[in-house]
Amino acid sequence: MKIQSLLEKAAREYRDRTAVVHLERRISFGDLYRHYSKTASFMKALKLPAGERVALLWENSIEYVYLFFAIQRAGYVVVPIDTSLKPDKIAFILNDCTAKGLVFHGKFKRHLPAVLNESRNLEFILSDIALDFVNDDRTKYLLKQIIESGEEFGSPDNIDSEGHNPNDAPHELTAIFYTSGSTGMPKGVMLSHRNLVSNTLATVEYLKLTARDSVIVILPFYYIYGNSLLLTHIACGGCLVLDNRFLYPEVILDTMEKEKVTGFSGVPSNFMILLNKSSFPERRLEHLRYFTQAGGAMAPEVVRRLIDAFPQKEIYIMYGQTEAAPRASYCPPERLREKIGTIGIPVPGVELKIMDDSGREVPDGDSGEIVIIGPNVMMGYWNQPDEESQVLRNGMLFSGDLALKDEEGYIFIIGRKKEIIKVGGNRVSAKEVEERILENEAIAEAAVYGVPDDLLGEAIKASIVLRKGFELDIKELQKFCRSRMAEHKIPKQVEFLEELPKYKSGKVNKLVLAEVGPKK
Amino acid sequence: MAVDQDTIKKDLREFIVDNFMVGSENETLNDDDSFMEKGIVDSTGVLELTSFVEEKYEFSIDDEEMLPENLDSIDNLVKFISRKMG
Repeated sequence: MKIQSLLEKAAREYRDRTAVVHLERRISFGDLYRHYSKTASFMKALKLPAGERVALLWENSIEYVYLFFAIQRAGYVVVPIDTSLKPDKIAFILNDCTAKGLVFHGKFKRHLPAVLNESRNLEFILSDIALDFVNDDRTKYLLKQIIESGEEFGSPDNIDSEGHNPNDAPHELTAIFYTSGSTGMPKGVMLSHRNLVSNTLATVEYLKLTARDSVIVILPFYYIYGNSLLLTHIACGGCLVLDNRFLYPEVILDTMEKEKVTGFSGVPSNFMILLNKSSFPERRLEHLRYFTQAGGAMAPEVVRRLIDAFPQKEIYIMYGQTEAAPRASYCPPERLREKIGTIGIPVPGVELKIMDDSGREVPDGDSGEIVIIGPNVMMGYWNQPDEESQVLRNGMLFSGDLALKDEEGYIFIIGRKKEIIKVGGNRVSAKEVEERILENEAIAEAAVYGVPDDLLGEAIKASIVLRKGFELDIKELQKFCRSRMAEHKIPKQVEFLEELPKYKSGKVNKLVLAEVGPKK
Repeated sequence: MAVDQDTIKKDLREFIVDNFMVGSENETLNDDDSFMEKGIVDSTGVLELTSFVEEKYEFSIDDEEMLPENLDSIDNLVKFISRKMG
């Protein structure tokens, strides 16, 4: 079974049911399959060698869903791209994975000239807009033409779905998800059909998803948690209700009520914004069955407030990472109240061990690193063997998260080995932000770290030492950062110090900065 | 505090271009362009935008006023600010 078999199977079993709703548009599984079939046939006919990378830069939409599967059905490896990235980062990813194709949404046309200028390997571009304005000799295709006149490869009843047994899902690369690396440059996480199929079916099982479920999707599909919503709901024949307007929470709540969604999935900042800045606690949301939360630790106080606001709903606190495709653990909702602070127990088919630095399992109650073992563990990092060898040993994934297990096997995270800040669900490398800040000639030293934030879960704070004779204020620094980094990487808090506290080794002591540093 | 609509429009445009459009100076932003549609403002950005409006025009924006019809274009913002100050 390959990942696209999930869509083919759903098209056979749920042909007339609604698969995706996006504002006023809705599409059935049958029509979704037809669009998928036409675009996959078209891309296959381009005759790129199997396994070539095709990047997908597209906002959440009906098109994203079928294009995601179509690229894979055509035999290529799909590379979803973060739509908030600046052109230089997009070009970095295209070059890093030597993408031959770029499938991109016209909304991002402002990035295109700069991206194409820097991208060395692209042979074709497929978009929903005419690309006449691009002065470039690469082949360009218009999606509308393919949908109107393209050929399908047959009815879902007749096609060969390449096996139906999830256990037979091949160990073959099918997707690369880029994620912030500790070095500052994005790392391509290589996922196989087996990684994605196994994790999707495990998630469907513990969330008890069926064709009666529908989820409001506010998380982007290029983010592995958003991708998991896409895959699980296609797999169970459920419905994806897309709404990209989370910046206006009331609008999202209205959509949830109007579409009678049964599920809401968010990162900590989504829940904090809903609880603090909207009418969420007063809404009845009578059709809603469950919440899921992942993408970083949510403060116990916020979990309690969510339980108090919705005592009848199932709340799934979950843990994972892109490298685990992504889900590694969940807390059964009925145990949450007594286990607040836990990330729960392993998802079906996955084993979690707590190990010390020498790779030995520690007794329950002792702290160590979470190690993930199972069919969901990534194939590796694209072209980064050194980074890969640091986290992948003997097929086991060393998560970088420090935790302990209680006597019932529930895991509690106590810290992180790596310097990654989780800002509203985005992983930000402290090192990357420091490097960009230090490009400003006024700055002598910079230390970047996460601090608790009511809305974002964790916010970026920068402690800065200026060079003698230079002046710089917070606004100027933020503006400088904006010209170099995505919005979520801009330090929200900045303090200017005479010097940074350091260990004897000379390394900056960020614990002192984060805990007792002057507040601004 | 009486401020005419042209001044509000000018201040808003300056704030948005300075804060959200660095590197996209060649792109045009019409007064009725949706910030969401153009991908100019994300969820962090909208919080910054509301903080700017609250500070500059000295009123507070209620949670139920956080709606695209109030905040999602320069035109909508001008109408909203004028209404709040009127």
